[in-house]
Amino acid sequence: MRAGRKLLNDGHSRSWEGTLALTEKNQRPSKVARAVSGAVLLVAGLVISFFAWGYPTGSLNQMGPGFIPQTIGVLISLLAVAILIVDLGDPELERPGAIQLRSLCFVSAGIIIFAVLVDRAGLVPSMFLAVGVSMFADDQSKPLTVLIYSIIAAGLGWLLFLVGLELPIPAFWRW
Amino acid sequence: MLDQFILGLSVVMQPNVLVYAFFGVFLGQLIGVLPGVGAITAISLLLPVTFYLDATSSMILLAGIYYGSQYGGSIASILLNLPGTPSSVVTCLEGYPLAQSNRAGLALFVAAFSSFLGGMVGVAILVLAAIPMTVIALKFGAPEYAMLVIIGLLAASMIGAGSQIRSLAMVVLGIALGLVGADATTGYYRFVAMPELADGISLVSLAMGLFGVSEVIRHASRRPARGAPPLSVNMRDVIPTRAQAKSLIFPIMRGSSIGSFFGALPGTGAAIASFMAYALEKRFSRNPEKFGKGHLPGLAAPESANNAASQTGFIPTLTLGVPGDAVMALIIGALILNGIIPGPRLIVDQPELFWGVIASFFVGNIILLLINIPLIKIWVLLLRIPYQKLYPMILLMICVGVYSHRTSVTDVLLTLAFGVLGYLMKNYRFEPAPVLLGFVLGPLLEDNFRRTMLLYGGDFTIFGTRPISAILSICSVILIVWAIWSGLSQRRKTARDTMKRNTLTSPR
Repeated sequence: MRAGRKLLNDGHSRSWEGTLALTEKNQRPSKVARAVSGAVLLVAGLVISFFAWGYPTGSLNQMGPGFIPQTIGVLISLLAVAILIVDLGDPELERPGAIQLRSLCFVSAGIIIFAVLVDRAGLVPSMFLAVGVSMFADDQSKPLTVLIYSIIAAGLGWLLFLVGLELPIPAFWRW
Repeated sequence: MLDQFILGLSVVMQPNVLVYAFFGVFLGQLIGVLPGVGAITAISLLLPVTFYLDATSSMILLAGIYYGSQYGGSIASILLNLPGTPSSVVTCLEGYPLAQSNRAGLALFVAAFSSFLGGMVGVAILVLAAIPMTVIALKFGAPEYAMLVIIGLLAASMIGAGSQIRSLAMVVLGIALGLVGADATTGYYRFVAMPELADGISLVSLAMGLFGVSEVIRHASRRPARGAPPLSVNMRDVIPTRAQAKSLIFPIMRGSSIGSFFGALPGTGAAIASFMAYALEKRFSRNPEKFGKGHLPGLAAPESANNAASQTGFIPTLTLGVPGDAVMALIIGALILNGIIPGPRLIVDQPELFWGVIASFFVGNIILLLINIPLIKIWVLLLRIPYQKLYPMILLMICVGVYSHRTSVTDVLLTLAFGVLGYLMKNYRFEPAPVLLGFVLGPLLEDNFRRTMLLYGGDFTIFGTRPISAILSICSVILIVWAIWSGLSQRRKTARDTMKRNTLTSPR
């Protein structure tokens, strides 16, 4: 959404990621880079087809549970091949946006911590840790701000979910 | 028709229902103002809450978030040049120049008022179309439903943003995700990789992952060069002059009609409607050179279009049970989770719900108009919150929301997986919205297609010989042909452009 301003200033009808890629201009993606998205999709389609072929197909007027999954698997594979052909034939393809590893790692870590702890330690500690860890996704966050913010967030979460909505989740395990 | 509408009003006017209508539109406007939080995220966050409400209240609440966000989206567009929602992208084009020339108050007023008029036209068309549409819909059998779903899915991938073939692939991927779990007809387990998946992938996980978590990952560490802070609002010259008001009548009428049309069409929604309205307004204007510099008709037309579309979008959703876009798909999902199957029987079996929801749009639009301008100071304040202070709370809501939905840790981890998937997908120019649409419509398609084949002995010609389904089949063929044709001409055009550029830049 935020990159939208760039889009509007440029007046291009490209995607936002496209405008980002424009800033790293003139580096055309290699053949391998262009093939990535189609290839991954093709693998997905083949995997789906592989499993779907184990299900009973039935016939057209008496379809089994495997009929549609098989069709879908084949369809995805065909579309993936089409995407591969289009992408490989277009040397001016937009470069994929760079992956923001820092944010990917810390946001994932926050969610995983929540998932692992919520059944064991209860809602409040897991909220506190999830918020605290995920805040480091922003490279300018300082430990003290994070600590204060996480305490506030856990408090608000406790008020909203346990006091307000009365969700049946223990606040602290066995306390 | 009027009787039913009054019945609906009597439902909405109950204080406990009115509270949800107000809360919904207020929250929607707030969500729309905040860039980076969309209506889809907000609705999926509130999905678990709706289990504690009755079906009417939850529909009113969720729908309010949807059309309320259309109002809020224009505020961020005008003051920050950042679209709060996809459908308010074009609002920036005229709204921000107006704000820059110290006429933000006027721009906000015109945006709010044209939104209101557009919304009201949309509601009126919804009221008029509801009963005739239901009459047609009751004639729908399995083949018609199957064809209609196919049209919706095709339209969503052909007309929406991004490459058509990629969107189509995402629709099919969504259908594949919808297959996970027990087969509805035979109970056979499909793609159940772990026992937790036996009930299928939860809609809440998918929506929050694709739209919530992925956006958090994308924006958490990105501090955009955020130009000036939101422009101050000059509240003196808010009301347009008589001449200005006069010049807006036809743009608003055109915008509302375009919006109503694209909203009612399955597969297209508010975002496309607003783009179309702006393009048309520019094309048919007597002074197109004024556009892009704060031309009021260019602001009014798309604003009325996106609001009209967000109301008429409920025509296929409520009468046929076929959602037009990803947000509608979520709202349908909420209905189903509440034990109500949307479709032509809804108006007969649950008239209070059906007309109550429609009447709530009428009331909600009035509330939105009333809270929009007076609360402008609050919206400006909200715009000053940096995303970095916002996203940990969003993430917290996502985690607790998903977990509490089925008390399932697996769902939380799945949400993360979909979040990462959504993030990577978008990096490679795949749009996430078609996935959600495919996910919700897929089971409907499979069910009706299988039933058609069973009823008519595996005969494909049935799609062409039944009158309604024949019309629908022709429509989908036209859609495909148009998509291929426009795709090819686009490619030829870009090829020509590159050739021209190369010849121009080549050394003499």
